[in-house]
Amino acid sequence: MRASASKKPPQHPVRQELEGFDRLYRDHVDLIYRYAHRLCGETESAKDLVQETFLNAYQGLKDFRGEAKVSTWLYTIASRACIRMRRKRKGEPEHELSIEEFVPTSEGEFRLQIPMGGLSPEEAFQNKELREALDQAIDKLPRKYRMALVLRDMEGLSAKEVGTIMGVNERAVKSRLHRARLFVRRELSARGITEHDNQRSGGLRS
Amino acid sequence: MNKKKTATPKKRSKSLSHDHTHSEGRCMDLFRQLSAYIDDELPADICEEIRRHLGACPNCEVFIASFMQTVTLCRHRSAPELTSVDRMKMRRAILTAANAR
Repeated sequence: MRASASKKPPQHPVRQELEGFDRLYRDHVDLIYRYAHRLCGETESAKDLVQETFLNAYQGLKDFRGEAKVSTWLYTIASRACIRMRRKRKGEPEHELSIEEFVPTSEGEFRLQIPMGGLSPEEAFQNKELREALDQAIDKLPRKYRMALVLRDMEGLSAKEVGTIMGVNERAVKSRLHRARLFVRRELSARGITEHDNQRSGGLRS
Repeated sequence: MNKKKTATPKKRSKSLSHDHTHSEGRCMDLFRQLSAYIDDELPADICEEIRRHLGACPNCEVFIASFMQTVTLCRHRSAPELTSVDRMKMRRAILTAANAR
């Protein structure tokens, strides 16, 4: 009796599973929503992706052996779910980006600038036009380049982790990231964004 | 742009209309290695070579500035957050879907 009193009674497996899921959900839902929003570019699709991710995670939780970090495992599930969902919706063909297409062909082209004018990124983002231009540029990226950029530059993961998530080697991650950055730089600088929006919203300092 | 490529880029003038084409030689090498350079993945001697080139090639210098600004903006772009109501609704929807499967 004494021995059994000191031990917790064994939990029902379903209850145990639910508790495990709740912990996983509570600790990671914000992280995965942020990632999903960056990948999808809008709220409803991001919520759909989060639900699909955690539904898959719930079903795979008992098989998760902890070989990767939990966050890496969830990023991987979310990335695969995103590929499936976008394929269903748009039939989006994968489009390759080559380095050559970003080589400026005129002096004016590679001297195009992004209107940060010595501002911090937070100050620069008070310019709505700049925020929208960045979001649209990322959204226009072909999926595999967008994933590399979002995971590496926005989620702050290492090239190795990104490779694990995307199922490619580090070299491929770096190559995709480089092309993605060149693409976004060209999109941003070619928009001819003005700084007046910053001044209106108090973003520029005198 | 003038197609002529100078053999000694270190001695180039800082004039905006200096002679080079961005698709050849050092400029193209730099163009291919920009991410590795700003991510600090290159050996010290290559970084030194790049810095020397940037000091002598105003076009590349300006290009790399806008490239770095792009990366800085990406790194600082915030994403919206979920409300607690959304979190709860989504949890419920996930468990309902899991039980239905």
